[in-house]
Amino acid sequence: MKSIHKIIIALSITVGASVTSCQKLDIAPKNIFTADVIYSSEAGVKSVLATIYQNLPIEDFKYRPDGNGDPLGFKHGGNDWENFYNEAGVIGEEVGPFGGMDIAGGFGYWPYGDIRNVNTLIAELPKHTAVLTQAKVDALLGEAHFLRAYYYYAMAKRYGGVPIIQVAQDPGAPLSELQVHRDKEEAVWDFIGAELDLGYQMMGETNDKGRANKYVAAALKSRAMLYAACVAKYGSTNFVDGQARSLGLVGIPESKANTYFQAAYDAAKLLEGHYELYNANPDKVQNYVDLFLKADSKENIFVKQYSIANNTAHSWDATMSPRYFTANALSRSYPTLDLVSLWGDLPVTNGDGTPKRFNDRADLMNGLEPRLLATIYFPGATLRGLTFDMQRGIYPSFSGTAAAEVAKQPNSRSYILAGDTKTLYQGKQIIGFTGPWTGGDELTRTGFYVRKYVDYNKPQATVDLNRSEQPWIDMRYAEVLLNRAEAAFELGNTGDAAVCIGQIRDRAGAKPITGALTLDLVRRERRMELAFENQYYWDLKRWRTADVVLDRAHFKGLMPYYVFNENKYIFLAEPELFNREYTFQKQFYYEGIPGGEIGKNPNLLPNNPNY
Amino acid sequence: MKKLISISRILIGIAILASTACTKIDNYDGPNASFQGNLVSSEGGNLLTSGGSTQIRLQQIGWTSPQTIPSKFDGTFEDTKLFKGSYKIIPTGGAFWPIYDTVTVKIDKGTQHDFTVTPYIVIKNFTATLNGTTLTLKYDIFAPIAAGLPTITEAQPFVNTTRLVGAGASIRDFSDAFKVSINKEYTDLTDAQKTMSIDVTGMLPGRTFFVRVGVRLNDSYKSYNFSDIIQVDVPK
Repeated sequence: MKSIHKIIIALSITVGASVTSCQKLDIAPKNIFTADVIYSSEAGVKSVLATIYQNLPIEDFKYRPDGNGDPLGFKHGGNDWENFYNEAGVIGEEVGPFGGMDIAGGFGYWPYGDIRNVNTLIAELPKHTAVLTQAKVDALLGEAHFLRAYYYYAMAKRYGGVPIIQVAQDPGAPLSELQVHRDKEEAVWDFIGAELDLGYQMMGETNDKGRANKYVAAALKSRAMLYAACVAKYGSTNFVDGQARSLGLVGIPESKANTYFQAAYDAAKLLEGHYELYNANPDKVQNYVDLFLKADSKENIFVKQYSIANNTAHSWDATMSPRYFTANALSRSYPTLDLVSLWGDLPVTNGDGTPKRFNDRADLMNGLEPRLLATIYFPGATLRGLTFDMQRGIYPSFSGTAAAEVAKQPNSRSYILAGDTKTLYQGKQIIGFTGPWTGGDELTRTGFYVRKYVDYNKPQATVDLNRSEQPWIDMRYAEVLLNRAEAAFELGNTGDAAVCIGQIRDRAGAKPITGALTLDLVRRERRMELAFENQYYWDLKRWRTADVVLDRAHFKGLMPYYVFNENKYIFLAEPELFNREYTFQKQFYYEGIPGGEIGKNPNLLPNNPNY
Repeated sequence: MKKLISISRILIGIAILASTACTKIDNYDGPNASFQGNLVSSEGGNLLTSGGSTQIRLQQIGWTSPQTIPSKFDGTFEDTKLFKGSYKIIPTGGAFWPIYDTVTVKIDKGTQHDFTVTPYIVIKNFTATLNGTTLTLKYDIFAPIAAGLPTITEAQPFVNTTRLVGAGASIRDFSDAFKVSINKEYTDLTDAQKTMSIDVTGMLPGRTFFVRVGVRLNDSYKSYNFSDIIQVDVPK
């Protein structure tokens, strides 16, 4: 009996093995998509594009300019909530968690993996015209050229010259072929310009939201060429000497400046008539607030979208306003008085130098430019039915000038400060519910809060971390107009610059500029219009003024105090309460080539000057 | 018997493993070499420096990333934790005419090397006179090489309560607050303008301060040439 069992088992094994052995083991793996699967449909190509767009170096709400975390710098995860670690916080637009110029060395951004994806896409697409149609392939190719330019732009502004790789490298190639040399900075900018021209020529007028069309390519070209022009013009007088410079790996001949300015101007001009400044609401303040929140704005050229459902939401609302207005959150970076003063000195001091007395702190906002009020929350402004209650402390009485009071050592000032909002002075709350206070994070250190992009319609209970979905407007028509104005002014076309600036100021509710337009006014307009939009950091770099503006720089806040015996409020301009110092060294006009990459490829040497 | 043999075999195996584990695989020397020396000024003495500016930059041959030794305030430098080997070395980051050629030095235990640099500006005849609580600093500036000198941007006192005084090591209210803007080319200065004076007011009575002046140039590093350091005792 036993032996029969054994025979049966042996037989069934033999039969089973021989039957299945006829099956081919060599089958295509199910978890790898091959080219013919992907390119057999538009949906397949879209899935490739999704990764490329996701990694696109857009400096958005979540961008961490110190590179913290994984992936470095450019975030797209579900919990990238520390949106106050921003570029604005090292250049004097805001003060915040950065202790100084912490970000200038860069974080080793080196997106050749993403560029490889684009290169593969560009190589594959023409092989699939039969399925995708020639027209579709052309449009997609245009989009790919735009995307490749976007990646190279992010590197060119950081490193100057980098290797231009247009064909995906073969990993089996000899090392000498893989270890490429850097191209000259000028060559990289020319490559970016040419790629964007292809993008403009090949793409259509419209595309899905969040994807590029031909005008997006033109808008990026105006931005990139303006950068190159300034490197040529200003980088030729303010530079750090070194081998990389003498080889042209950083720096562009000054004679090329006007060519690039003209390219920036021409590209900006292409958008005329296709986009317009948002002007839907006759209330100028509300209009300017809404332009960052209304999805249907004709000003938006290129946006990045976020979604709670897809686990990509950002935290702007919860990190720009204090807990007082939110459900559970933290703010840590605050606009400076220096930024506010771009609009002119605030009327807080009388002619004799004494602080002006206010019955109500909100009166300070009277007569200020709508764009300023829409960019920054002042004391007395309202959000979600609550009032911004900024009060630094109480003076039992106040005499003398503002300047003399601020110059005193803190211990010889007669003000009363407090450690929390519950502490009272003769029945009167000493510090406001929204600061300024130094005892912890989350209350302002400057007397102001950010208003731009804050979604005032969100009910307080829903304002939490990773719960904001308003898109980041990476390119909007106002920037294109400012690019055009700056390029026009640099080319001597003051008239066209004045027209562009005039449009911007009219929409902003600002008074027209009287007198001659100057380069300084063009640049100031840009700073006011694009505050907190991650532009000024790069503007300072391309204008080569960062080492002058940020030379042991300290910034100011505007501290409201209650004067007890007068029952009035005063405002004093004082050093911001972090008391940070910011110094930008000249070598930071370029970041150093990442050490790890040099380790893999010594041909990237020489590194940029002083690295 | 069989059991015993197998146990002894296991023990022998362990013994072999244990004894080979003691063998040193990592026979590379630790960072036991050192490098020290002076930054000698072509105008005599050492180049006077301050924190966060002048550095000795070393790159070990065969390696790609450089390292630096910061200069001390008196123009000396020392690093006692270097790996033995050949290095390409260059002083950088200070207010002296740039040196473009590296020197190659074989660094071993106690290696010494001095670098000679030409300062942009030499500060001479530095005196500090106290009048009440006002400190008057007088000094002359002299450029060993005038042609092509970077623009002189500013001059300022540096005051601290310790001998470590300089950029980044000073009391802001007595130092940065008394900064004097110059923004001139050296060759455009008259002889009278090369004799400079700065008053520092409000010095605290009964305290000891250490004082020096710095003249800043708009070179790649926006660095300062410094005077020597004077001790000032403010009477009560």
